[in-house]
Amino acid sequence: MAQAAGLKNNKWVRLAGILIVVVLLAVAPLILPEFANQTVARIGVFAVAVLGLNVVMGYTGQVSLGQIFFVGVGAYVTAYGVNNDWNIVLVFLLAILIPGIAGLLVALAAARLGGLAIAMVTIALPIVGVPLAKRLSEFTGGSQGTSARFSDAPEWTGLFDDQWQLYIVIVIGAATFLLTRNLVRGKYGRAFGIVKSNEAVASSMGISPYRYKVLAFTIASLIGGVAGFLYMVVVQYTSPETMSFGHSITLLASMVIGGAGSIIGSLLGGAYYVLAPQLTNLIDPNLTAALQGAILLLILFVLPGGLVSLPRLWRRKRRGARPGDPAQTGTVPTSPPPAPQNTQSEERGT
Amino acid sequence: MSTLRKKARITSVVAGIGIVAVLAAGCSRGGGGGDSSDGPADASPGITDTSITLGITTPLSGATAGPGTCTVAGITAYFGAKNAEGGIEFGDGKTREVKINALDDAYDPQKALANFQQLEGEAFLMTSGLGTPTNRAYREAAIADEVPQVLIQTGDPIFSNTEESPWQLGFVPIYQNEGAAFGELLASSTEDHKVAILSQNDDYGEGYVEGFKEAIEGADNIEIVDELTYEATDTDVNAQLTELAATDADVFFNAMSITPLVISSLLKTQELGWLPSWFLPSNTSSPGAILTPGNAVAFPGIYTVAFAQSASAPTFAESEEGAAFLSNLAEYADYPDVPAFPHCVWSYQIGATLEQVFAKMTEPTRDDFMEQLRTIKGFTAPLMLEGASIDTTEDGQPAISGVTVQKYNGKGYATAETFG
Amino acid sequence: MGTFVQLVIDGLSAGSIYAALALAIVLVNQATGLINFAQGGMAVLSAYIAYAFLQLGLPLIVAILAAIVASFALGAFIERFLMRRFERGEPDTAIVVTVGLLTLITGICGWIWSYNNLQFPSLFPLDSINFLGAVVSVRSIGTTLVIIGIMLLLQLLFLRTKLGLALRAVASNPQSASFSGLPVGRLLMAGWGLAAVLGAVAGALIAPQLTLTPGMMDTALVYALAAVILGGMSSPIGVVIAAWAIGILENLAAVYVPFIGYDLKIAVPFILIFVVLILRPQGLFGRKDVVRV
Repeated sequence: MAQAAGLKNNKWVRLAGILIVVVLLAVAPLILPEFANQTVARIGVFAVAVLGLNVVMGYTGQVSLGQIFFVGVGAYVTAYGVNNDWNIVLVFLLAILIPGIAGLLVALAAARLGGLAIAMVTIALPIVGVPLAKRLSEFTGGSQGTSARFSDAPEWTGLFDDQWQLYIVIVIGAATFLLTRNLVRGKYGRAFGIVKSNEAVASSMGISPYRYKVLAFTIASLIGGVAGFLYMVVVQYTSPETMSFGHSITLLASMVIGGAGSIIGSLLGGAYYVLAPQLTNLIDPNLTAALQGAILLLILFVLPGGLVSLPRLWRRKRRGARPGDPAQTGTVPTSPPPAPQNTQSEERGT
Repeated sequence: MSTLRKKARITSVVAGIGIVAVLAAGCSRGGGGGDSSDGPADASPGITDTSITLGITTPLSGATAGPGTCTVAGITAYFGAKNAEGGIEFGDGKTREVKINALDDAYDPQKALANFQQLEGEAFLMTSGLGTPTNRAYREAAIADEVPQVLIQTGDPIFSNTEESPWQLGFVPIYQNEGAAFGELLASSTEDHKVAILSQNDDYGEGYVEGFKEAIEGADNIEIVDELTYEATDTDVNAQLTELAATDADVFFNAMSITPLVISSLLKTQELGWLPSWFLPSNTSSPGAILTPGNAVAFPGIYTVAFAQSASAPTFAESEEGAAFLSNLAEYADYPDVPAFPHCVWSYQIGATLEQVFAKMTEPTRDDFMEQLRTIKGFTAPLMLEGASIDTTEDGQPAISGVTVQKYNGKGYATAETFG
Repeated sequence: MGTFVQLVIDGLSAGSIYAALALAIVLVNQATGLINFAQGGMAVLSAYIAYAFLQLGLPLIVAILAAIVASFALGAFIERFLMRRFERGEPDTAIVVTVGLLTLITGICGWIWSYNNLQFPSLFPLDSINFLGAVVSVRSIGTTLVIIGIMLLLQLLFLRTKLGLALRAVASNPQSASFSGLPVGRLLMAGWGLAAVLGAVAGALIAPQLTLTPGMMDTALVYALAAVILGGMSSPIGVVIAAWAIGILENLAAVYVPFIGYDLKIAVPFILIFVVLILRPQGLFGRKDVVRV
């Protein structure tokens, strides 16, 4: 009986929650000031990028340090298409497909290698990508980069540019998030999870680790392409610096800070990527590096599972520290702690 | 338990969105989006009767933080001193205090755009930022929002083309001009020369080489024997130097902007036994920071182009202007060392140039500023070389178009009339 | 021929720089199982500490030794109070913590000493000698010899000493190590401390050439990681040889393979890694990792 009541609460609360979110998203661009809209739009761009990284790293456990490369390629394809006056829908599709194909090719080659090796191969992508972008200056505009203004609000909408751009980001971003959420909640998500935790078990169950790694990587690069398109919508300029290796590392950090293996964590990760530099600039522009490092360490120290684990921490603190509670910290772990493993898998289906 | 969990999750999502919305709403702007409310007499943002705010987005962290910090320090020192004397007198009769709001963009174009979007509501104009991609990132936004992006520290020619960039103006000479100045000097030489080129693989290096090549076109006493590039992130350029040394050229044209690489190149070339005459660009030719550690006296000649005095030359601190500059830098900009980068002096000169424009402004609007900006001619900013001056009236040229070719004399630089 | 020899020698000298950092990374990995992205940053901080001692008037050797002692303490401190919390958790989180540490250290160095290029005196004289028609600086020879020395010491440490064995035991199975009576906590701190010492030596060797700036080791770090993967995570000799190979082949590819040229020569280490790992997943000299399923 309590169960039935619980389910009923669940359904109404969930519907109400979703409705609130939808209304917020529809109305927010119209009432927020311009800078807020622009910031939220940028958060959306990098949330999508982190989402892609989460698919291959958070859910499937493969280290990828090359996500920003696919974002950069998506942005360059968008810029090229727009500057050559191609149909915008075609540009959007190409901006997704071309990085996707690149990701597929890389994955086919790299997925056979072990963990750290994949990391190195993915590091190669942005590191070689930057000089390559400079070399292919016919397509990319070389080291001066290329501008592409195409996301000004059309006359018939009566919107300001920043509102229009935010709507584009919201619509495309939300669609990407929903599709990915369905993916990771379904059988593919479960397969990813098994491949992450134990490849031998996966193959003994008939799940080919190689095939699912390739799939995860390709999906990550497709999503990266979407992020690249959105990047051009919001920033309207790209250059080789867009895909520099430092950004790849920051994306990785954002993913972990938001919460690896979590859809909402990707959103929080995108927020961290955009807001941390702005916040540290407000505190002291001369100390941005030190402050960002300190913020990152502080967040991870308090929440090793990322920002998304804040409700869980809250709940644990409210329940109080009971004997045997795995939330004890600061001691040298001499026994294998089972809790982190379990709670991670608890959150996996988010 | 799953109900509580989902409820908590949704609550935290909604709360999270709420927090973001509140935070974002907290940074509200006066005025609507997109349109700049500039009537003829309405003041633009960032200026009041008693103060004016300048915005800077420049790298204050990361690999280019050295020059980047200088781009803020110089202008802060200049206006710090002026504010202490009471402020700047504007053409409309009001005396205003100059405030500077500088943000770090870590040489990331996306962050530069974000900084611009944050500053455009509270700053009157954007200035002194370092870097081509960072300035390019918000160039179109500045044009659309009619915000001046002026006297910026990049030699990219697009910023000085009034048709393409009506709200922009570069400060430092375009890279092509610097390369061409040396090319002209070399072309006028009476002897034959073989030139080896090493340039940074970006618009900076390409610009220098382009200007140089244009200037020596048709000069049949000059032959380019080899041309190589390097990446700004390289730890050494020994392989390139080895290859170039094998050509035994007598002139080495360098477009390098990385200090340690220039020093190690100077040393390595000596080791290899190759002793050509060098050309160095204006931002990596500091006697104290580069030529002395690099033992540059071993070479027959080190040439550079300049329009400003070098802060690390021994005579600089002894001159009145130089001493004032160094003390202002220490007092108002929290920069106690002798600058190793020329950007500190350049940024100081940007401040002086802006003061000239402010003195001509009759209305507190961005439109009027841009109009007056283009009327400065023959202004000798502090710390300029003899004969150099600021001229903003020429379309297609930045505020400083002419450069002097100089030769290292073991301690500092002296003007070079001819090569050799 | 002269050019070829010169390129090889310069490649060796560049490779020694990468090797210095790679050895520190290997040590941390063997002792604690982590990849420390902040290794280069810690090395830079050590070099700055030596610089600070120099400014106080100490002679160069003393300043470097003082920095070495300080680095050991710093490394141990970081392990105990920062990394300890993350060592048994998700490896991705631990990596990101080291990234945050790198950002923090770089920022602190920039704050205290500014981002200007500082001159750091060289331990070796500035002469050069001729060798097989090529010129090599005494500084490069000195650096390479010191690296070889460290490499041999590390190899000895891991394979022949009780300390090395204890460190590796703690890294591979902390529970058993603890049950065997090993002081796990102190060994972890020692591992990080020793790695920081290595980093300090690397920083002092490299700073004269690269000039001291907060980001001095950033590019070298990528090459060092490549060398570690190529050479095998468990073999000091392997990573040094890998680092040399990367330095030499990079130079040769840039000059003799026009398609690659100087701008894409950074692809060479990765192509190498790819080829080697397909044939030998544990790296050139690494031991195969057997994991119980």
